[in-house]
Order: sequence, then C-alpha cells, then structure tokens
Amino acid sequence: MDAPVLRSTADKSGDAFRRHSEEHAELVAELRGKLAVAALGGPEKARQRHVDRGKLLPRERVDTLLDPGSPFLELSPLAADGLYGGDAPAAGVITGVGRVSGREVVVVANDATVKGGTYYPMTVKKHLRAQEVALHNNLPCVYLVDSGGAFLPRQDEVFPDREHFGRIFFNQATMSARGIPQIAAVLGSCTAGGAYVPAMSDEAVIVRGQGTIFLGGPPLVKAATGEVVTAEELGGGELHSRTSGVTDHLAEDDAHALAIVRSIVSTFGPRSPRPWTREPSVEPVVDPAELYGVVPTDSRTPYDVREVIARVVDGSRFQEFKKEYGATLVTGFARIHGHPVGIVANNGILFGESAVKGAHFIQLCDQRNVPLVFLQNISGFMVGREYEAGGIAKHGAKMVTAVACARVPKFTVVIGGSFGAGNYSMCGRAYSPRFLWMWPNARISVMGGEQAASVLATVRRDQLGDEWSAEDEEAFKAPIRRQYEEQGNPYYSTARLWDDGVIDPRDTRTVLGLALSAAANAPVEPVSYGVFRM
Amino acid sequence: MAMFTSVLVANRGEIAVRVVKALRRLGVRSVAVYSDADADALHVRLADEAVRIGPAAARESYLSVDRVVQAALDTGAQAVHPGYGFLAENTEFARACEKAGLVFIGPPAEAIEAMGDKIRAKLTVRAAGVPVVPGRTEPGMSDDDLVDAAGEIGFPVLLKPSAGGGGKGMRLVKAEGELRDAIESARREARGSFGDDTLLIERFISNPRHIEIQVLADAHGNVVHLGERECSLQRRHQKIIEEAPSPLLTAEVRAEMGAAAVEAARSVGYEGAGTVEFIVDGAAGDWFFMEMNTRLQVEHPVTELVTGVDLVEWQLRVASGEVLDVPVGLTGHAVEARVYAEDPTRGFLPTGGTVLLLREPDDVRVDSALHEGLVVGSDYDPMLAKVIAHGATREEALRRLHSALGRMVVLGVTTNIPFLRALLSDVDVRAGALDTGLVERKLDGLVAAERPVEVVAAAALAKRLELGGDEPWDQPTGWRIGEHAWATWRIDGVDVRVRGDEVVVGDGEPLSLKAFWRGGELVVGARRYAVARAGNVLWLGADGHAWALPETERTYGAAAAAGAGGPVTSPMPGTVLVVRVAEGDVVTAGQALFVVEAMKMEHTVTAPVDGVLTEVNVQAGQQVALEETLAVVATHQE
Repeated sequence: MDAPVLRSTADKSGDAFRRHSEEHAELVAELRGKLAVAALGGPEKARQRHVDRGKLLPRERVDTLLDPGSPFLELSPLAADGLYGGDAPAAGVITGVGRVSGREVVVVANDATVKGGTYYPMTVKKHLRAQEVALHNNLPCVYLVDSGGAFLPRQDEVFPDREHFGRIFFNQATMSARGIPQIAAVLGSCTAGGAYVPAMSDEAVIVRGQGTIFLGGPPLVKAATGEVVTAEELGGGELHSRTSGVTDHLAEDDAHALAIVRSIVSTFGPRSPRPWTREPSVEPVVDPAELYGVVPTDSRTPYDVREVIARVVDGSRFQEFKKEYGATLVTGFARIHGHPVGIVANNGILFGESAVKGAHFIQLCDQRNVPLVFLQNISGFMVGREYEAGGIAKHGAKMVTAVACARVPKFTVVIGGSFGAGNYSMCGRAYSPRFLWMWPNARISVMGGEQAASVLATVRRDQLGDEWSAEDEEAFKAPIRRQYEEQGNPYYSTARLWDDGVIDPRDTRTVLGLALSAAANAPVEPVSYGVFRM
Repeated sequence: MAMFTSVLVANRGEIAVRVVKALRRLGVRSVAVYSDADADALHVRLADEAVRIGPAAARESYLSVDRVVQAALDTGAQAVHPGYGFLAENTEFARACEKAGLVFIGPPAEAIEAMGDKIRAKLTVRAAGVPVVPGRTEPGMSDDDLVDAAGEIGFPVLLKPSAGGGGKGMRLVKAEGELRDAIESARREARGSFGDDTLLIERFISNPRHIEIQVLADAHGNVVHLGERECSLQRRHQKIIEEAPSPLLTAEVRAEMGAAAVEAARSVGYEGAGTVEFIVDGAAGDWFFMEMNTRLQVEHPVTELVTGVDLVEWQLRVASGEVLDVPVGLTGHAVEARVYAEDPTRGFLPTGGTVLLLREPDDVRVDSALHEGLVVGSDYDPMLAKVIAHGATREEALRRLHSALGRMVVLGVTTNIPFLRALLSDVDVRAGALDTGLVERKLDGLVAAERPVEVVAAAALAKRLELGGDEPWDQPTGWRIGEHAWATWRIDGVDVRVRGDEVVVGDGEPLSLKAFWRGGELVVGARRYAVARAGNVLWLGADGHAWALPETERTYGAAAAAGAGGPVTSPMPGTVLVVRVAEGDVVTAGQALFVVEAMKMEHTVTAPVDGVLTEVNVQAGQQVALEETLAVVATHQE
C-alpha cells in the first residue's frame, strides 16, 4: 500500500507525554493484576483437589490443546469481575480463539475449580458469546467440558429465557447445520443439561475414569428410583464409549483426550479462503510503545487520533478519505498485519458533516470488501437549535444505518469515551461488531457523569425553584456522578460482557491482527442497506 | 611402456573418488563401476565413465570378478585399480585381469598368495632375516622343552593351551622362577577344560603397538620404504586414528624396520605399493613382523603428507612400467582420523540415513565420498571419510586435526566425530603414549553420552523460529491478553518450554537465550549450530557433534507414559527384515514385533506395553527411517 506515512507530532519530551505514560502504565498494571488473579480460577483448595485427581487445570488444558505457542485471543477474561461476591473468577469458563492443528477454533473450557464449573448468569452469557463469535466467524467449536450444569441458586437467571442455558444447545445444533464443527472433550462432569454438550456435538471424547455424562447424577437417581449406582457406572467413559455410544473416543487422561481433539481438528481440512487479500505484515514506523504517552487518559482532553492510527497500522501508512470535510471524524484506508481495513476514528464531537462522511466511508469499505475498524472516543452528537434544524438526527441516522447494515467484519476499540448515540454510530456492542475491546482508560455510559448530574439537577431545579442551595445541588449531583463513574468503568462493562475484554493499548495492533485473521474465516454476505433518510 | 590412457576403478566410496582424482591429475580417463546402491555416488559422478555392475549386494557387484573384468573390457580400460578391500587382495581377480589382457594395479598374484597365507608369510620373511614373534609351536612339548623354549624366546612369555581358545588356561609368565608352577597350573586347567594339556609358548608383547612400513617396488627390482605409520589407536581391530611418523621410533629403528620391510617385500617378488605390519613392544622396543598387506592401505594419506609422494600415482606409474624415483625424506607429522557412520554413545552401533547437510573443512585433506543427499545404507563398510592434517610437529598436526573435525558437519547421519575429537584430546594420545589397548581401556571417558541441555533448548528455539510467519497467528509467541503462555515442544522426549528469551528444559533452571538465523545457521547465545531437518527430526551440528532431536506430539507422549501404549518406532534407519505381527494382534509387553536390520546388525523391536496393535505400517523389505512409526499399540482391547 503506497499510502502516505503518518508522522507523529507529539512532544515526547513534554510533561504531558510523561504524565500520560505514567497514568497508562498504572492502568495497565491494574489490568494485569486483575487478569492474573482471575487466571488462577477457583480457590486454592479447589485447584489442589482438581490437580490431585490427575486433571489439568483449565488453562493448562487450553495451552495443551492449542498448537505450541499459539496465541489465544481470550474473550472477557474478567467476566463476572466484582459479581457474585467474587465467587466466579472469569465467570468460571475460559473462552477464546486459538489455533489447533493449524486451524483457528473457538475454545470453551469450563473451570471446575470455580463452583464445580456451574453456570452463573455471566457464565451462560460468556458461553453464548463464544458461540456467537464462532458463528459469525465460521470457526469450529471445541468444548472442554467439566461442569455440574446450571448454578441452581440462580436458576431463574440461567434457565428459562431465550438467551439462557438452552440456547447453548440450540447454537450447537444450528452451527452444526451450517457446517461449523462442534467437538466436545468430556474431562469431568457433564451433568443434567450439561450432558447435552457432548451429546449435541459432532464428535465427542471422554476420559476413562474421569469424565461422566448423565442427565441425573447418583443422588438424584437414588432419590427418584432408589437405585444405588456409582458415577462411573452411571455415565463413565467405558459406559458411553462401549455401551451407550454417547461418546466416540475413549482417552486415558486429559492430555490424551486433547491429543484426540487435535487429531479430530486436523481432519477438518483447510480454512475457507479469505474474502480479501492479505499482504505481508509491516510494523508501524511510529513506535506503538508511545501510545501511552500520546493518548490522554481523560477522554475530555482533546488530541489527534492520528497519533493512535499511526501506531496501529502497517508502516504507519494511512490513505485518508475526506480529510478536510467533517474533520471531527477521521476516515481512511490502511492495513493491519496485512489485512486491508477502513478506519473510522473520532477526533471530536460528531456533526452532521462528520456523520454523513462516516456513512459514505462505511459504504465505500463495504463495497470494496474492506473490514472496518472503529476507534471510539466520542462524547456524542452536537446539540443545539442550529444543529437540530440542520437535520443532525437524520445525518446521525444515516451513519447508524450504514454501521448497522455494513456486512464486512467490524471491529471496535473503545479508546476513550463511549457516550450516547455516538456509541451507536461508532459501532457499539448493539451493532454486532465481530469483536469489541476497551482500553483501561475507556468510559461507557449513556452520557458523561457530569452531564447526567447536570441534566438531572436542571430537571430537579425546575421543580424546586430557588429553594435549592448550591450545597444541596452538589449533594444531589455527587452520587449521580459516582454512579456513572462506577458503571462507566471498563471493568464494570467487561464484568457484564458489554465488551470482549479490556486490553493493554499496546496490544491493540496484535489483537486486531488476530481478530481480522479469525474473521477472514467467514464469507462476506452481499451488500444491502436500509433506507437512508436524505 | 607408456602411462595408461584409461583405467577402471574397481571400488566405491572415498578410495574410488581418491583414485579417480589421481587419474584425472595424470590425464588418464577414469571408468567407475557401481552397484544399484551407488548409482548417484560421488565416484560415479566424478568419473569420466561409469558402468553399472549389479545390485547392491557386494558379492553380485563389487566382488564379482567376472562383472568387473567385463566392465573393463567393455569400456576399453587398459588397467584396473582395485583400491582396498573388495577384490584388492584376490588372486583369482588378479589372474583374471591378466588373462583378459588387463593390467592389475597391484603386486603379482604370486606375491598376494605368498602373503595371503599368514603362516607361510612368516616362514618366508623369517627366512629372509626379518624378525617374527619368537615362540615354539611343536606338538607334545614336555615341561623341560617349554623351559628350554622360554630361555630362547626371552621373558615375558605367554603359555597357551594348544586346544584352547578365549584366553582359558593362558598364563603370563614374567620371570623364570615362576615358570614351572605356571606350566603345571596351565596344564591342569587345559586338561580340565579341553581334555588336552598340550601347551604352546611365545613371547608376550607387553604394551603392543601397531606400526607398519610403507613400501613401493617397481618391476625393475627397486624396492624402497617410505617410513612408517603408527596405527595403535584401534577398537576391536578397527583402526581409528593413524599417524606418520610414529612417536615411538628413532631414526635408527626406522631404518632397521624399513630395511626389514624391504627385505620382506623382496622375498616375495613384490611390485607396487604394499604395507608391512609389525607389532612393536612399546616397553622393550622389540619389533616383529606380523603380516604384509598387498594393497594400498586406508591410512596411506599420512605417508603421502609426510613424504610428498602420491602413492596412487606411483602405483599407476610402476604398473605402467616406470622406474621408481621417489624422494625418501620425511617432513613434519601427519595424522588421519576415520569418520565412521557409527554411534559411539550406543556401543558403536552402525548408523545410517541421508546426509542432509555437509560441511567438510577446507584447510586439511579430506578423502571423502560424502555429498548431500547421499543415503548411507547398510550394504557396505560404514567408513564415510578420512580427515588428514599435517603439521610441522606432531602436536601441531593433532591440534589441526582436532580443529578441523570440529568444523566438519555431517547432519542426517550420526558419526563418530565427537569420539574422534575426544580421543585426539586424550592426554596419553597427546603424549604419544599409545598402545592397541588404549581405546578400549579409556572408552568410558571418550564417549560422552550426555546431550547438553543447551542443545535441546536450541532445538526448541529453532522450532519456534521455523514456525514464525508474519501473521500474528503464525507466530508461536504464546500471546495472551494477560501473561503470555509458554510454548511447549517435546524434543527428544523432554518437554521444552519457551517464552520470549526464556527456555526451560524439563525440570531444569530457566535459561535466557536469544536465537536467530545467521547465514543459514542457528545462533543461540554465543553458539552457532548447523541445522537440517528431516520430517520430525531436527539435526543440530556444532563442534563436530551432530545431534538428532526428534520432536514428538507431547500430548500423545503423556498418554503413552501413562501406560497407554502409543507408537512403536524404529531404533535406527534400516530395512525391516521380519514382521512378526499384524494389525489387530494382541501383544504383550516385550514381545518381539519387528526385526530391523541396519549395517548387518539386527535389532528386535518389541511391544512397549500389553495391548492391541491398532496400526502396522510396514512390511518386510521396507526401508525405514530413524524414529519412523512401525506400529501403534493401544493398551486396551476394543
């Protein structure tokens, strides 16, 4: 690509650069700390008991399953962070995209050290999200099952609804129908509903003397019929491999089972051809390590988003589109690890012109089969009489329509604020980007905490008139600001799976490269758009 | 008679290459012969013409008198150079050449015959005044006869039962006072063991050294000697390192032995190049004729380097009727090491395989038939090459040879080069304190079975470098959103974990190693490795070592280690001779499944565990590579 090379204009010796660097480093250290704690899984006693049974810990299982050294694009490793009294690190399930026998696959691995691998509401959500990633990107699924099924105390939040436990098996059936392989390795319990994971799989492996599959466990059987039976007799590997036929391969231990899964995956054949051409990857000429210094951690401080683009794209080359028009939105073509991308990045508030430019550019990328990358840092659309009169609502609607209907893969990185309708036009979670990540400095809410407090205070003042003192008003606003600050925090977001994870800004390029390659497993649908209000 | 215009080389390997090159220097057309196993061999490539003479089996090709003679006649060769081994000392062949009107480049058939019979040879040379090992071998000697004989022979003496073997009943007697007691006990033991108490007596050679004299004779009655070679560094009668001159001999002794060798040659009417072997008592300095080899010796290059005489060239000149005219001075010192396809760490088991990468040192003489792509099989002698260094002094020659062997790289075939280097570094070898038992005595210290942990680490790092594409998924970085994961490979049965610059081999301490490619070599820290790959086996070469590092699927190995069976692999490259089982057979641990033959050695491959054969991948007669999967055992009956 012979696009112009972006140059950094940042003052790398300035105080601001140093201060931003320190602040980002602190934020990333916090992120790493949280990731390390969550990666441990359940309590030490539970882990010890797990290992004493000759089982590999779930992360060891993933590492052993994957090709040696394969990257693992983990999804929401901090799911359920701060929820359920901290009882469910990572929501008790590890999900992500990794390479097995040369193919990118989605892995879903239960963590039996976390409440026996039972499904909390966020566990269900995380499992379903992994399946969605598999579906959208046409990636085979490998389930490493070791779970007691639904977490019974919260059965109302995991069992009955559309996006609850049953959806897991719906997805297995419908994905299998679309030719997306579904493989299960039963490395522990597969109880009740969980029994359907291997049963609904195309091919299933079970470990002798360790894996069990049954609709009702020994206690339930005894209660129901009085029959006394061991777990192994009721649903062990021997039974299911020799007698019932629920499983297809009998393994000796975890490692053996994972080896069998690897050879199963090796029979899938090559991945589908990429819908776009990839060129050799070229490192950015502007140092990505400087991202910390050039991006202010407070999203209210303005900076040129090209400083970010220059540190993410191949050779720092960026073919900018409509540079002089609607300048608060930066659009242009680039490559990331060789994949063509169209970049849509905020450089201030959205005006009518920027929104129309965005809609135009998104259509261009869609026409040309170029995946879209949204670098989101948006406080919203411009407000005021002049702008309403100028039709900012319909201009915004054009961009939202374009984002919603674009069928090329979309990737969103929230690098700053994600507020209000700006979230929609910049491909927020509701617009089904293939992946969405947040930087540790990001904030997400319907509007900023200060604005929300002011809006609510204004409404309140209108009711109270002059009786409201400045102290009272401040006392009214403070909890609102606190609530928005807490709920707008990226960890609040990632705990609830509003995103696919909080990432180190310096990993942005790697993460996008991995995701683009994974997304290239799926063909692109034909172009089609809704009505643009002109 | 003028020099030949065309000569057939009735041999293969390095000696055929050596002779073809000599012919080329003389402007003589060379004709090579080859078996099916050697169709692409270096001597075939180099010669002006090459004739197929039969299948791989030597008796149907290189040992076939008729076919070799026919090849010479078909190609219009005037003479045949037999090299060493094969037909070189075969009187029938020499006569067949004569009958076909071809010049046999070697001594007359009568001389070969005279020296071929070891007893007759000793009688012949003794008559010519050459000393032989003193002894008395008459039947029915009384105790007094034996005492008499001992007096003539001189102590120490060795008493041997006439009917014996394997050292049973042998007595070493150092002084006359011990003799009668020794005779009595030797007779008693011989009677008990063999039912016959007849004893023989001969001089015991303490500290025996193998020293041989090179001679050259023409058809006009001129015989010269070109000094000696010492070949005391041997293992099971296989010479390993030879040198010229011997560190033992003085100029006077050399002259005496040389004169004796010339006499020995004359006594049989010798012509051409020959070698008279002596056994020398390293302690007493006495020397005795052992035998004469009526051909060019493997170790002839050391003589060439110290005399400046090209022996092959002179064989050709003498055979064509020229009068001998060679300088007889000795300059400096030369040492030769023989590179064999054998594995000293596995009891010198023959190896084999395909030469994947070859680097021969260019600052010393290398007589070699090696080339990349060469398949070293089990059909012929396992010697691959000879490396010969010259120096002003013995010390310098040894140092140069040691250095040159360190720079020689043969990947794909395990060789004895590390053993050769260890031997060259031995303190007694350095001091020239040699004897024919030295190698066997010091073997344990010369054979380093330990494979350095850094080499295993380097193999894993090479694997990682090989895998790295430019797409993030292709790079085995173990990338994670949080702490990166270790990339683990099972190399030669050990789990090697790599992350960034950190490498952990098995349960060892973490090593910090940077690895990258430079000029096709793998650089790890300060070390450089030559690299070649054959399937799952990575070969790394450094300092004369060549390590074969097979990579196995770690997950599979874990199950196999747990007693779950797994693949049964070939312990060496070779041919499957026998398949005793079929797919579906129930086998027990230790049961023989296959016999794999390599280098004339048969290896029985057994079942690792009780189980069922789920796969049998080979059939009799099939060639297999090292670590190739022959069958798969599953532990439980399905």
